[in-house]
Amino acid sequence: MTATHHTPRAGLLWQQCVQGMREYEVIRDGNVFCTNFSSSFVFSSEYEEARRYLASLLTQYEGMSFNSVFDGTEVENDGGTCVVQKSRHALAHHDVANLRFRDEITQDLSLVHGIGPVTQQKLKQRGYVTISDLCQHPRYRADAEEVLSCLSDGNTCEIMHLIGRRHSQSHHSILGTTGMHEPEDFVFFDIETLGLFSRPIILFGIASLENGHLSVDQYLLRDVEEEQAALLATVEHLSGDHPALVTFNGKSFDLPYLADRLAYYGRGSPGVIPHYDMLHFSRRRWKGEFPSLRLTALEKEILGISRSKDVPGQMVPEFYAAYQRSGNCGPLVPILEHNRQDVVSLALLFFHLVGESYGCT
Amino acid sequence: MAVPDLLRLLDTIPAYQSRVTHIETTGPVPAHYGNLDPLLSPALDGYLVQQGIHLYSHQCDAINAARAGKNVILTTPTASGKTLAFNIPVFDMLEFDPLARALYLYPTKALANDQLIPIGQMSRFCGIPARAAIYDGDTPQSKRAMIREKSRVILSNPHEIHHILCWHTKWRSFLSNLRYIVIDEAHRYRGVFGSHIAFVIRRLVRLCRHYGSEPQFILSTATLANPEEFACRLTGQGFISIDEDGSPHGRKHFVLYNPFSGGISEKSAHQETKDLLVSCVKEDLQTLCFTGSRKMAELVTLWAREDARLSSARLADSISVYRAGFLPEERRTIEQQLRDGSIKGVVSTNALELGIDIGSLDAVIISGYPGTMMSTWQQAGRAGRKGGDALAILVAQGNPLDQYFMQHPDRFFSRSHEHAIIDPENPYILSGHLLCAAAELPLNEETDRQYFGSMMEEHLHDLQSNDLLRKTSRGWIYSGRGRAAEAVRLDGIPGETFRILCHGKLLETMDRGQAYREAHTGAIMLHQGETYIVNEMDLETHTIRVTETSADYYTQPLRDVDLEILEALETKEFNGMKCAFGDVEVTEHFTGYKIKRHDTIIGIEPLSLPPLTFRTRAFWIVPPPQVEQSVNAASCDLAGGLHGAEHAIIALMPLHVMCDRWDVGGLSSSSFGNTGEPVIFVYDAYEGGIGLAEKAYEILPRLFTSAYELVRDCPCEDGCPSCIHSPKCGNDNQPLDKEATAHILKNLCCEPEKSGPAAILPVSESASS
Repeated sequence: MTATHHTPRAGLLWQQCVQGMREYEVIRDGNVFCTNFSSSFVFSSEYEEARRYLASLLTQYEGMSFNSVFDGTEVENDGGTCVVQKSRHALAHHDVANLRFRDEITQDLSLVHGIGPVTQQKLKQRGYVTISDLCQHPRYRADAEEVLSCLSDGNTCEIMHLIGRRHSQSHHSILGTTGMHEPEDFVFFDIETLGLFSRPIILFGIASLENGHLSVDQYLLRDVEEEQAALLATVEHLSGDHPALVTFNGKSFDLPYLADRLAYYGRGSPGVIPHYDMLHFSRRRWKGEFPSLRLTALEKEILGISRSKDVPGQMVPEFYAAYQRSGNCGPLVPILEHNRQDVVSLALLFFHLVGESYGCT
Repeated sequence: MAVPDLLRLLDTIPAYQSRVTHIETTGPVPAHYGNLDPLLSPALDGYLVQQGIHLYSHQCDAINAARAGKNVILTTPTASGKTLAFNIPVFDMLEFDPLARALYLYPTKALANDQLIPIGQMSRFCGIPARAAIYDGDTPQSKRAMIREKSRVILSNPHEIHHILCWHTKWRSFLSNLRYIVIDEAHRYRGVFGSHIAFVIRRLVRLCRHYGSEPQFILSTATLANPEEFACRLTGQGFISIDEDGSPHGRKHFVLYNPFSGGISEKSAHQETKDLLVSCVKEDLQTLCFTGSRKMAELVTLWAREDARLSSARLADSISVYRAGFLPEERRTIEQQLRDGSIKGVVSTNALELGIDIGSLDAVIISGYPGTMMSTWQQAGRAGRKGGDALAILVAQGNPLDQYFMQHPDRFFSRSHEHAIIDPENPYILSGHLLCAAAELPLNEETDRQYFGSMMEEHLHDLQSNDLLRKTSRGWIYSGRGRAAEAVRLDGIPGETFRILCHGKLLETMDRGQAYREAHTGAIMLHQGETYIVNEMDLETHTIRVTETSADYYTQPLRDVDLEILEALETKEFNGMKCAFGDVEVTEHFTGYKIKRHDTIIGIEPLSLPPLTFRTRAFWIVPPPQVEQSVNAASCDLAGGLHGAEHAIIALMPLHVMCDRWDVGGLSSSSFGNTGEPVIFVYDAYEGGIGLAEKAYEILPRLFTSAYELVRDCPCEDGCPSCIHSPKCGNDNQPLDKEATAHILKNLCCEPEKSGPAAILPVSESASS
């Protein structure tokens, strides 16, 4: 009773306080120098444009209901109800091939413990071409047999681990293990959140191949209370027959974030599945070639895609908060589109890189 | 052994003799040792034997209680071996349970750094792996994961904990095995800051329980009047208090020295401090002198060196200042020179009372009461070497509290009256931490009420309607955009913080109320004893720009206070005097400020600040008609009497309730509201209240009695700065009537309290706790 006089002001004060917060810096256009110091930034022209865009969306969608703007279907599970938006996208190349990878990996003697590049070269000169040949070598026999058995019987994760232990995590042979999967196994995953950590995920984008098309499922929260249902639906996608996860920066962001939100609701983590983080492979492939290795930059440079109207990723929380405050779902339109383009570009980039190294042609 | 010589000097030199109002001599007290039950493991026992440690009784009591599973709060003085009292039960647990972890919280990074070494040594000696490490803002990213996973003893600070709790999944193995939380210097966590920390600790405990652990607490604090209550409010759990000190003490002489003993001081209190310092140094006593400000520390040093130079240059060189701005090597030089005896006198500010690592000295001079009994005893505790006599001198300033002690030495030397206050009910602090907690794990109205109290549900709905929380099947979740722990700053109330910049550098932060009072445009502002002038106050950006100044004037805001009673939560009556406690809305209008040099007004400037309205808690008293009649009959001024009583009560609040007199505000009126009754209000000067008026309401008779004694025993005629004048009075100490004040206060305290809590008005569940 005693706080009745205070409470309305307390909540309002905290709301004002939270509204004023921002997790990125606005940097003067062209000040590339600064971009090295700030992990999260938006150029001021981008920022101004996005603010104008937000205002125009609020006018354009004034008074329109969620259902009239989005044609999603409701999904119900143990965590409650949420809405999924489905879309299909054409995909030109989507081959992953096993053969070339198999050849390459069995000839990589340095996968055996104790063999570095120099030793490998010497061994090759002396006629040890494949790991199988090493099974005759008095010193490396035991280790070589272990590697061979992993390569023949191990699952993708075990083989990735084997390669990653001897090479870097972004070694192209690791990308080669994709050959152990059918194209339909890959789950392309990207989330949009209300902040950098410990806040709700507001959109889960998941894509996979269906009959030669890329099928995209997006769980967009009508309200934050739908997060749990969307989390469970997402986990469902990751626990298929033989799934493999593909993300862009997902190893340090999307997946830990997902695990943390599941733990927040007292739910267990999804099982361990192979995870290809395309940021790492892109860095290895294109480092120094382009000024930025953000997904939006790569899709422009490599895939020739340029987005016309977009919300900068860092400003997604602001756009969603505008929807929360006003109930006007205009700001959600570019968020959904941004995420859809992210997952589609991710899939294209993935097949591009895999094809480049291990394509059939 | 020159302490007796100095005491003789104080007794023989007339200038000194007339000013010494009291000498309290205690001790020597021999050591009291204790026994452990059950006995320690061979590893820990071997450690004590090897170190030649014989445990004192209070250490044994603390260790026994902790090992029996109790939460313990230790309130024995500095240097009584508190660190060992919590390290032993912690290591006992680490040895017994190979998974056990412990968390040590210190108020500063420096203190944590100091403690890391002994813990490491103990671990190595006992062969009990602790892998102790500090985890704070300075810990490199690369080491963090390893510390979380491997360290069994982590030293940190509450700020860091506040920020890491939302990462609790990474702390799972630590939290699920956390057995002890040690909070050193816990008395620092009081007032607004302490109320925040109380919630940080509740959030920590909530997460521990989520991961299946139930850590025990060991707290250490300086002497308080309410250790159990304080510990319970800070942590939300029950405690055993251990306060019987078993460590030995030499003979101690505590001198109360009053430069104002003749009413008006001939020399300034600082000059007298200098005289005493020079006398001590001449008697070959190593002396530490504490002053209220850095500038005074510099001046006292300068004057003392000039004086000493009359005797010898060497003596002059043996007096030095010890500044906060010193580089570590400069500090170490002084510390070394003290040890080898080449320095005899060191002058420091109060701010350094803990940071100074120079062990014990022969004498301590405290220039001006440092604000709390707790600090006084911590500073005085610096005097006292093994075997020798120790001397402490308190040099009084002219203000009411200092003068009250000079008139009433018994009050000064009796058991502490100071209550440390933590208010887990401030709605702003509570609702902020609800946001943080909801971001950590969904909140449940039923099970989480134990941490956040009965007001929780109402706040949850309020936060929901502001889009910050959402109710789901798993509980209330955080739905805000900004990081909750970043929005909730531990040193203030939301949206109310002003930053004070000097040449673009952050000097300090103030809440809005304090900023209006002390840092309006044109104000002369003090910060750590330095003088600044406010050039600009930007209400939009909450920024205040100041520059240093050597102005010889000061400013005083003119303020009108309106007060509206929102709800009386409790009432009681004694001596026919109605007393109440409840919610009020205060509106302060800052109309202008006076510019004064000494006591002369040299100018008045207008101010245009929006009125400051805040809701807080207050107690108020309504004197009965007889008092009014008798005041009038004696042809005294009722309004002046009420005003004087308000000032005297506020002046002595810090004696009972640990606060600064600036933390509370007051209003008196000879005809208040619709009823036209005379009334005195005393309110917390913080949005939502921080428990000061609430605590004072519990001990009103004691508060009134001391206020009466202050006024009665002040030798002045018509009221002076040592009794009923207030330096913060918004009405320029007008009107005041000392006789009427004494009359009213006498009526307030002449009979013991007789009735209980209110029968008429609803008593809130919380207010009676």
